[in-house]
Amino acid sequence: MSTDTDTVKPRRSPDKKAAAKKTAATKKAPANAGAGRKKAAARSKPVAQQVAARCEVLIIGAGFAGLGAAIRLRQQGIEDVIILERAGEVGGTWRDNTYPGAACDIPSNLYSFSFAQNPDWSRSFSGGPEILKYVHYLTDTYHLRPLIRFHENVASLSYDETRGVWRAVTGDKIFEGRSVIMAQGPLSNASLPDMPGIQTYQGHKIHSAMWDHDYDFTDKRVAVIGTGASGIQIIPELVKKAGFVKVFQRTPGWVLPRPDFQTPAWNRGLFRRFPASQDAMRKALFMFHESMALGIIWNSPLTRLIERIGKAHLRLQVKDRWLRRQLTPDFRIGCKRVLMSSDYYPALQKDNCKLITWPIARLSEKGIRTVEGIEHQFDCIVFATGFDVSHSGTPFPVSGIDGRQLNDEWSRGAQAYKSINVSGYPNLFMTFGPNSGPGHNSALVYMESQIDYAVRGIQALRDGNLKALNVKPDVQVAHNQAIQKRLAKTNWNSGCKSWYLTEDGFNATMYPGFATQFAKQMADLDLNDYELITAD
Amino acid sequence: MASIDLDKMLLKIKSTQWSLSDIDWDAPGAELITEEQWPKLKEFMADLMWIEHVGARAFAAMSKKAPNDTLKEIYSYFHAEEQRHANAEMALMKRWGMLDGDEIPEPNINLRLVIEWLDRYADEMPVYVLGTVVPMLEIALDGALCKFLLDTVDDPVCHQAFEKINDDESRHLGVGFSVMEMQGHGATYIKTVKMLAPLLDPRLLLGMASYAPLLNKMRDNIVALGLPEEKLYAAMEKFDKIGGRTADGRANPWFQIIRQHAKLVVNRSNRLYHTPVDALVRLTGHIPKRVLPAVPSWVKELTYRPAA
Repeated sequence: MSTDTDTVKPRRSPDKKAAAKKTAATKKAPANAGAGRKKAAARSKPVAQQVAARCEVLIIGAGFAGLGAAIRLRQQGIEDVIILERAGEVGGTWRDNTYPGAACDIPSNLYSFSFAQNPDWSRSFSGGPEILKYVHYLTDTYHLRPLIRFHENVASLSYDETRGVWRAVTGDKIFEGRSVIMAQGPLSNASLPDMPGIQTYQGHKIHSAMWDHDYDFTDKRVAVIGTGASGIQIIPELVKKAGFVKVFQRTPGWVLPRPDFQTPAWNRGLFRRFPASQDAMRKALFMFHESMALGIIWNSPLTRLIERIGKAHLRLQVKDRWLRRQLTPDFRIGCKRVLMSSDYYPALQKDNCKLITWPIARLSEKGIRTVEGIEHQFDCIVFATGFDVSHSGTPFPVSGIDGRQLNDEWSRGAQAYKSINVSGYPNLFMTFGPNSGPGHNSALVYMESQIDYAVRGIQALRDGNLKALNVKPDVQVAHNQAIQKRLAKTNWNSGCKSWYLTEDGFNATMYPGFATQFAKQMADLDLNDYELITAD
Repeated sequence: MASIDLDKMLLKIKSTQWSLSDIDWDAPGAELITEEQWPKLKEFMADLMWIEHVGARAFAAMSKKAPNDTLKEIYSYFHAEEQRHANAEMALMKRWGMLDGDEIPEPNINLRLVIEWLDRYADEMPVYVLGTVVPMLEIALDGALCKFLLDTVDDPVCHQAFEKINDDESRHLGVGFSVMEMQGHGATYIKTVKMLAPLLDPRLLLGMASYAPLLNKMRDNIVALGLPEEKLYAAMEKFDKIGGRTADGRANPWFQIIRQHAKLVVNRSNRLYHTPVDALVRLTGHIPKRVLPAVPSWVKELTYRPAA
């Protein structure tokens, strides 16, 4: 244990100074996260009494959500915050997804916090490195680094009802907080897909979310498996460098053009001098995306129109009838994530690129065997196969009142109240919890409303001198019934298979409405919805 | 016979995949092809390969139209498997020295017309039209032709390849007949009328105008190769027998149409049918290649190489 360790003194009020001082966490990356997690889970039983630090609010994850939450908490005067981060740097998704071409498909002016706008975005849709730079800018400008304990991979989270504290067990430490904000991200874990023969393949394997920057693609024969949001960004970049790229597609998605251009200098100057102009721009972008909801979330005449734009985009960029057929989606737009790219279709038609739509039979020693009987041989296979999305659990065990397990309660699909609280797990706030996903607008807009709700909850605990806020079970049930009823009418539930749905077709991912509606849902915290447990 | 469980069938299909590299194309036995056989076999293999390829394209169309996800995936596998058969047959041709360098053999004009039709209209056709025609083509052409091939060719590699191909085909037929029964299930008058409505569609009539001469042309080819045409007819009768084994199968109007048509094909004495269709075969034989549009790009996907 490090020097900042102290022992448990029940019901001790949080020590702000101590928390602020506790910055020099020992850096010890878990060699094997999975094994570490299991070991730590076993240790999470109340045997180990050593607590590394305790605080008022424990935040898990130093990505956009975790950092944003810390900023907003501090702006409300809540300073006693610890952020647990499993890696050695901030940035979350944007730290991990560094594949060539990584970019956001929401305009940067909207994919940023409204309370910390950046006038200097170099492009309308900025690339991954620039977004990561913005995350670093947030961290430094708001002096968040001292709050972060790096290399602390949370293995379990449990609620001590008597003391009213949450206890997070990492590799070898325990952290305690009155409240927890789970900001570990919905798309933060990735692994190679379970394809037949994947172990037999002897060439190089790269997952899009764990890019190998040391691998030189020059003149290499490369396969890309997957044509989702990551795949369509990687392919145009690889085609520029690799000898030959074969793209393995299972289902073609809807691809809309992405109007990406460099921000002119005068524009940046304008935003810097008159921040109101950037606000106006942000509002315009917001309203534009909001209007898209009408076509993307629900089936409407606008849906047909957007589909027509998608088809026209395909026809303009792809002349060959068969290739166009291979790339034509056979599901309603919006059902799966809409892809944005203007250079994907052209890349597929380069001389050194080929789209393969034969089903994959298995991976072999030298490459990929497809059902048409051919072994496609490669030096390297890039898996752009997405993330391990859990619809029915949490990335680590979470136990609440009376030892109830969130994984058990969610085994038939995750449910929460307003996406953020779960009954039986007091003072636990989630970002991108169940049914908070946007399909048409900036995730950061949704995130801000979630963060502000959590901050209001934590403020209420303070103001009311409460030990705990526990959402009433019937309130949660009613909320979910309404959400599911609304979801039934959306395009996501219109029949296609997507990562939004569980195997049984339950949608625990998306929010069925406009971002404005979501913001309204999160705008007020009604204490009548909660059991208030007062401090002794 | 009850309909097959499509989910189980899909698992079975996934677990019985093979690829060209499972066969040693250089193994001894190629010399067993006699000099006399060689030129006829070359033509025959080219036709066979193209029929597989055309079948593949039809499955691609059916995959788009499949009524459920399982069938959709099954058809996408069948699409690829038919292509695999064409690839394997091309590999046999390569083995027997029948390929002009790396060139894909030219399809005959009737196949060429069918390819053109498939490429333009197949995706628009209701699934039950193709769902009935494809089993017929498979059973008649694949079945009869493969049988002929195995009867006359002694090369063990050919037998090895066709053992695998036939295993696939038996699954294709199993699904094909099962789907025909599904569509005939509880066929009401209204449903029948709806299923027959495409008959008024000129695109379908055009398809039939390519399908009929194709069968007659293949019959002529078979006769030219010294195979008694009765073998082809015996295979076509199998379609009648298996397709009509259940009330549901018989209730499928498209089964009845294709079956009646098969009877016409088999009955050489029916001049009313054969005179115009044979004329059509001759006529199409005169279509100059240059008036046909360029072959669609899926046609160029064929390869005899096990690895790419």
